[in-house]
Amino acid sequence: MAKKSVQALMRPSHLPLILLGAAMTVYGLTMALVGSWFSNQAMRGLITAGAYRARMAAFDAAAGIVAGLLFCALFIWCAVSARGGVRVAFAIGAVASLAPVLSARAEELLFSRLGLPTMNAGSVLAGAVTTLLFALPMVILFILLASGPGIPAGCRWLSLLSIFIVLATAFFPIYVTVLAFLIKPGDPAVGRMIEVSSQVIKLRYILPGLSFLLLAGISARFARRGPAA
Amino acid sequence: MKQNTGKRCPSRPAILFLLAALILASCAPKAAEPTPQPSGAAAPAGDVYAGLNLIVPNKYDPPIDMTSVTTVNATVKFLNGDDIHNNIWTRTYRDVLGINLKYQWVVDGSMYEQKLGLSVNSGEIPDMFVVGPSQLLAYQEAGLLADLTSIYAAEASKNTRFILDQDPVALKSATINGKLWGIPLTDGSVTSASVLWVRQDWLDKLNIPAPKTMADVLEISRRFTEDDPDGNGVDDTIGLAATKGIWGAIAGLQGFFNGYHAYPGIWFDQGGKLVYGSVQPEMRSALLALQDMYAKGQLDREFGVKDINQVTETIAKGKCGMEFGVWWNPYHPLNLSQQNDPEAYWAAYPIPSIDDTPARSQYSSAIGSFLVVRAGYEHPEALIRMVNFWTDNIVLTQDDNIRRIFLGDINAPDVVLYKYTPVVLWAPNGTIETGRKVREALAKHDPSGLDLDAQWRYRIIQAYFEQGVKEAWVEVATNGPNGSVPILEGVLGDRGMFNRFYGTPTPAMAAKMPTLETMEAEMITKVIMGEPIEKFDQFVEEWYRLGGTEIVDEVNLWYSKNK
Repeated sequence: MAKKSVQALMRPSHLPLILLGAAMTVYGLTMALVGSWFSNQAMRGLITAGAYRARMAAFDAAAGIVAGLLFCALFIWCAVSARGGVRVAFAIGAVASLAPVLSARAEELLFSRLGLPTMNAGSVLAGAVTTLLFALPMVILFILLASGPGIPAGCRWLSLLSIFIVLATAFFPIYVTVLAFLIKPGDPAVGRMIEVSSQVIKLRYILPGLSFLLLAGISARFARRGPAA
Repeated sequence: MKQNTGKRCPSRPAILFLLAALILASCAPKAAEPTPQPSGAAAPAGDVYAGLNLIVPNKYDPPIDMTSVTTVNATVKFLNGDDIHNNIWTRTYRDVLGINLKYQWVVDGSMYEQKLGLSVNSGEIPDMFVVGPSQLLAYQEAGLLADLTSIYAAEASKNTRFILDQDPVALKSATINGKLWGIPLTDGSVTSASVLWVRQDWLDKLNIPAPKTMADVLEISRRFTEDDPDGNGVDDTIGLAATKGIWGAIAGLQGFFNGYHAYPGIWFDQGGKLVYGSVQPEMRSALLALQDMYAKGQLDREFGVKDINQVTETIAKGKCGMEFGVWWNPYHPLNLSQQNDPEAYWAAYPIPSIDDTPARSQYSSAIGSFLVVRAGYEHPEALIRMVNFWTDNIVLTQDDNIRRIFLGDINAPDVVLYKYTPVVLWAPNGTIETGRKVREALAKHDPSGLDLDAQWRYRIIQAYFEQGVKEAWVEVATNGPNGSVPILEGVLGDRGMFNRFYGTPTPAMAAKMPTLETMEAEMITKVIMGEPIEKFDQFVEEWYRLGGTEIVDEVNLWYSKNK
């Protein structure tokens, strides 16, 4: 039986993947830093909760559009630069570009335009939909990379790890929110989980972005050391 | 050169992923398990006090007997095997304090006063029981109560004094002719003060600045009514919520009147004498303003027949943009606004003023009942020891185990253990203190010094600001910076108007005030709905003529003795 040869993820260059990883990391970092800045001000009483919400919404909307378009272009570039299953993986990953765009608009879309019931948890539901929109394509992308026979072993192992990273950063905060507000309100243990969750949520884009950067690094190293058979 | 031919099994990472997923699924967190049903929860067994650092300086040995009477409403739930006669509190009084507490009878709360009256009339007076202000006066005058003055001085612990001294009128309200006849069941008085609640998302949407004066409030009311803040293209919103009851903790108009320096329903000092707020001239301008708002459709056209439930529905439907209410309104009913609009949220503002003089939010003493001891009971100090147990060990404790055992377990939230004892005194400034600590922790980003309740509030606010959980706004709007609780601190300072009459109702008051209050409510409703303002002047004349003068005299006689 013929063995499938192992190839680098991209050819001729890994630049699109590096740019995608960098863009995702920078977007995640920017959101975390700006969010922390505004929330610090609000928690210290320097701005009102209303001002905090207005500023965050404005920033989220603007940064979301820029990031979404950039991600989409880079995902497509990655798909064009790849072959076979990797190309399919990045093509599916492009769907995740919708998440930043939707982030500031999900509630209006879901509850005002589509008329879905909020069930007194509108922001949680909207956040879950946005998260799903990001996490699902990303998980499929990483599953395809992790199980791709023609992909360097290091990339596959890293992709496997990334599946858990995406799932954990995406769904742990939602899980904690549901616990805190619906299932176990007042539980000190859940209270401590909120603290962790507040930090985890900041990693939602940063860690997958870093994964892409590492994937590019491993794949480029593989390409330098051993060309495809 | 080494060739990469994919020697390893290509699907190994995928298999590992599936395995790991299975393992994670099998380790589904226990925290997500359903909350145990109260009926299934077991009563604490064995030595429940083991490991607890309880402060109990004196235990009766041999134990003493104490009879009492109490209430149990239908909503009160017990742990398995427990009932009102045998529960954590009766066992604690017996095992820890050496007091065998026996209830002569137990009734629903609505029947208590009547049943107590029957018992007392038939001579079956319990050793310790709870009375209202009128009963305190009547039973003291009849010589049925024990004088607690010297016993309180000798036995009250530091924490008991701390709690009772937080409310400056607590002990005074239980004092008759210079002697203490009862222990007031304290709660937060200032928490009944009004704040202004505004749909902040509507303010932002219409680009309206925050209200600073009553003129701003009127303008906001106009814009909320005319500018379609809910954006549905239909003229279906109103500026200010009001109920047929006029006053109250939800949509009560007393806050609106306070903005005009009018203080309906309370007594305040004017030139050394107490005057009744509802008949003062400041009421006039507030009434005229409300009349104008009603005429312009800024109040519900049918407010005169709508009760709290119907107003709550209006708020839930997102048809109302302002209400004067108390600090906790975001927990109910304002939280309901998000049912239809996830963007909805309310912000609290101090009561604005119609002029340059800051408005003062009116509030009254929260003390409505007292623990008393039967005259002739051999151990009147036992009551003080029970109170000490509560204040020393329960109400101020930071110990999670103590709270779990004596107040309630988080796994059985509808079993409220403190409802099994009549000896329940809350810290009058507890809400303000908790809020202050939460805000300090937020500013430092460090909740480590907070008790469990405050920590939870901190976490919820954190979830709002750091995770974008908008449903958490209710905690932000209350205990957060710029929330309603910090406003109460101002009310406790120089932005409050305390009801200076906190005594038992005077004879004329008891006989005539209900009629006068009905007259007042009718007059206010009619004037708001368009009848001439002269109705108010007529009401004032009638009020004095139909008993008001007598009441004012009696109240001022009381005031001269209780300044």
